[in-house]
Amino acid sequence: MTKNFLEIENVTFKASNKNKVYDLSLSIQNEGDIICLLGPSGIGKTTILRTIAGLEKIESGKIVLKNKIISSKDIHIEPENRNISLSFQDNCLFPHYTVMQNIEFGAARNKKKKKELNINDIIKFLDLNNVVNKFPHQISSGEAQRASLARSLISKPDLLLLDEPLSNVDQSFKEEIQVKLKKILTELKITTIIVTHDSYEAFYLGSKCGIILDGQLKQYDDPYNVYHFPNSIKVVNFLNRGILIPARVTGKNSLENEDLGTIKGNFIKSYPKGSDVQLLLQPEDLEHDDKSNLKLEVVDRKFRGTNFIYTLKTLSNLLIPVFVHSHHIHQHEVDEKFGIKRPIYIDHIVCF
Amino acid sequence: MVNLKKVNIWYISTFLISIIVAIPIVTVFSSFFETTSNYSIILKDTFLYEYIFDSIFLLLGVLFLTFFIGVGCAYVVSFYKFPGVNFFKWSLILSFAVPAYIYAYSLTAFFENYGTAFSILKFLFGENDYNSMIPKFDGMLGAILSISFSLFGYVYVLTRASFHYQSQNLLELGKNLGFSKKKSFFKIILPSARPAIVAGLSLVAMETLSDFGSVSFFGVSTLTTGIYNAWISFDDLTLANRLSFYLLIFILALFVLENISRKKAQYHSPSKGGFKSKSVILLSGYKSFVAFLFCFLVFFISFLFPILQMLYWTILFPKHFIDLNIVELLINTILLVFLSSFVLIVLAFISNYGNRVTKSKFLNILTTFSISGYAIPGVILAVAFITFISWFDNNIVSLFDIKTIKTFFIGSILGLVVVYFIRFYSLACNGIKSGYLKINYSIDESSYLLGYSKFKTFFNIHIPYLKNSIFLIGILIAIEIIKELPITLIMRPFNFETFATTAYIYASQDLLEAAAAPSLFLIGIASTFILITSRYILKD
Repeated sequence: MTKNFLEIENVTFKASNKNKVYDLSLSIQNEGDIICLLGPSGIGKTTILRTIAGLEKIESGKIVLKNKIISSKDIHIEPENRNISLSFQDNCLFPHYTVMQNIEFGAARNKKKKKELNINDIIKFLDLNNVVNKFPHQISSGEAQRASLARSLISKPDLLLLDEPLSNVDQSFKEEIQVKLKKILTELKITTIIVTHDSYEAFYLGSKCGIILDGQLKQYDDPYNVYHFPNSIKVVNFLNRGILIPARVTGKNSLENEDLGTIKGNFIKSYPKGSDVQLLLQPEDLEHDDKSNLKLEVVDRKFRGTNFIYTLKTLSNLLIPVFVHSHHIHQHEVDEKFGIKRPIYIDHIVCF
Repeated sequence: MVNLKKVNIWYISTFLISIIVAIPIVTVFSSFFETTSNYSIILKDTFLYEYIFDSIFLLLGVLFLTFFIGVGCAYVVSFYKFPGVNFFKWSLILSFAVPAYIYAYSLTAFFENYGTAFSILKFLFGENDYNSMIPKFDGMLGAILSISFSLFGYVYVLTRASFHYQSQNLLELGKNLGFSKKKSFFKIILPSARPAIVAGLSLVAMETLSDFGSVSFFGVSTLTTGIYNAWISFDDLTLANRLSFYLLIFILALFVLENISRKKAQYHSPSKGGFKSKSVILLSGYKSFVAFLFCFLVFFISFLFPILQMLYWTILFPKHFIDLNIVELLINTILLVFLSSFVLIVLAFISNYGNRVTKSKFLNILTTFSISGYAIPGVILAVAFITFISWFDNNIVSLFDIKTIKTFFIGSILGLVVVYFIRFYSLACNGIKSGYLKINYSIDESSYLLGYSKFKTFFNIHIPYLKNSIFLIGILIAIEIIKELPITLIMRPFNFETFATTAYIYASQDLLEAAAAPSLFLIGIASTFILITSRYILKD
């Protein structure tokens, strides 16, 4: 038997013929680990959670939790007997019970267990004090989502599945909840799988991230690696945090691009000299330098609070994103020229 | 087909319930494989066309009148404010408490020669030949009026609900497009209420075609009376079933026709965000009086008139009231109401939950098919059930060395409750289903994921959530059973009477004044139940 806390082996997840994830394998090594699954809408992320929870059956492969097969072609443990909790994206609070009664429903499951989490603590923790006596239709969708989360947490499951847990939570409150959530999950050692479309949320909460595209798990790695070392063009495109530009390998640590000139750095994978490759250029790879003789035309500027994202056009009409701190005194307008520091140095060069 | 993996206790229970409800449909259809007596040939040459023609004429008359009264009242109370409007909103549904056959007795009693109208005129103006002046509402006209005033409530309730939820945005759109009030009514208000109106008219159509009490009282030869005659007078059960099948086809054709005419038009109610409640128009002067008069006349004619007539006779002939065994009739009626409501609600709940948890397409189709039997008139149900029990007794029971099971099911409370169950199953099943539709399936899943089994989910989540629906359905079933006539007449044990059968028996013996007291009790009990539920009926 496997020693991993959760092992998913070659499972095809299927909710409908259109909505399938094929032959997926992944594992969660230790109790208390948090992993995140990222992918576009409708790809089957929720189906994966539903299947792990036991709401859908599988036709091939197996799912093993704490060394016990919970799903396979021949075995299907009913959801109520798995001690897996799923918090749905659209809150599924019982409409005829108050928020408090809803949370108590979760607590009832673990009456016999050692109580490590007090109902009042979790209410306070998720800032639900003002709504505990209200009915679900009387509270906002963000509050409902937090109440649903509280109900799941209080049940202290072996495995917690969160489907877009903070999608309805106000942006101002989101980061605070993320921090608290991570703290409580870690303290209570609740193994968790989070499905989200927010890559920042996934990178913060998950010790590992899985990228699901085209019905397959394309990459399953540390968040840092997923961001900096994407393993395919599809993952790059999905994360949408850079562009691919044509380049030719000119040496062990250098490439040449028609518009940007020589680019130096460390290849994460070696290529023969003279190879034509697609180089991943991320917004933070290029530095702004007004004194540089490499000037590109500004075609767009997005203000993001702490920074600007400039979109620059090269002579061969490539559009390149460049990250600049917003306290920079030069705010270049559209059509103006924008200097790029030379020589260009990229710490880790990712090519395809 | 059947997915064996899905077969569990819920599956089997739901399957069996649907099979029981489907018995009459199958029995009626199977009559085509059996031979009929010579009466069928005679019928074809004599009364068959009269049955069909009268049924159509009656149907058209009732549909026209119920549309006019039902939609008219719903429109006036929904869009205008005038003295008494809040009273009329709920009091107009009291007409549900008056069965068509009791309305028929009142109509006849009032307008017949030397009837109540005659007495009033004589009291006011002295002796004269008033009989020739007083109009006679009997025959087809009497049947149309009786059924219409008894059933318009269906159209009123559903249309009013639809008008109630019509958004102010929709009406403002009409104004924005430069529509007059009249044009707004015909182009916007009425078309968007079409599904509700059609639903109401469909119920009216089914009730009309299945009416037995009033048409037999007025001697109108419809298919229902034909079925009754084929069975009672000519002892030809097969022909009775075959006629029933034609009637079912007729009803089905009406639905198909409506569906085709609606094509792909959609009638979404506005979403929560887009809904803006209407501001009503305050009427004054003669317009206010006309609106009041219209509603009052409908209320008076549909509810007060039959009550006053029955009350008048009860006071005028106290002997019949004193002779009436009220306690026994009350106990019998309540016994039937409680037994049937209990059986119906429990089984409808099991069936709905079975369909919900098994998610079986086969089971769903079977349930829908069995529910379609709601269009079957009570007379047919009773006949079909007796036919089935006889067949089962002769072909199945005899194989097991058991003498007979007929005595358990025919002329017994058990048989009566079973047929009530079949008759009103759709009401219970659809009522609980509409409640269930409000519970998202992921609510169940949340419960499972919190460690609650299917049974615990059923008891801890569904029943508390649906308790209002259960209460409402229970009361609606009670009202229907109190008023029900043909099934009770055919299936009841010997000497077992209810207020409905007592009233009918007296009326059929031309003792209308004796029918007054049981009719009055019947209306009184049904009205009480309606008043209890009026808040819910008007809401949904």
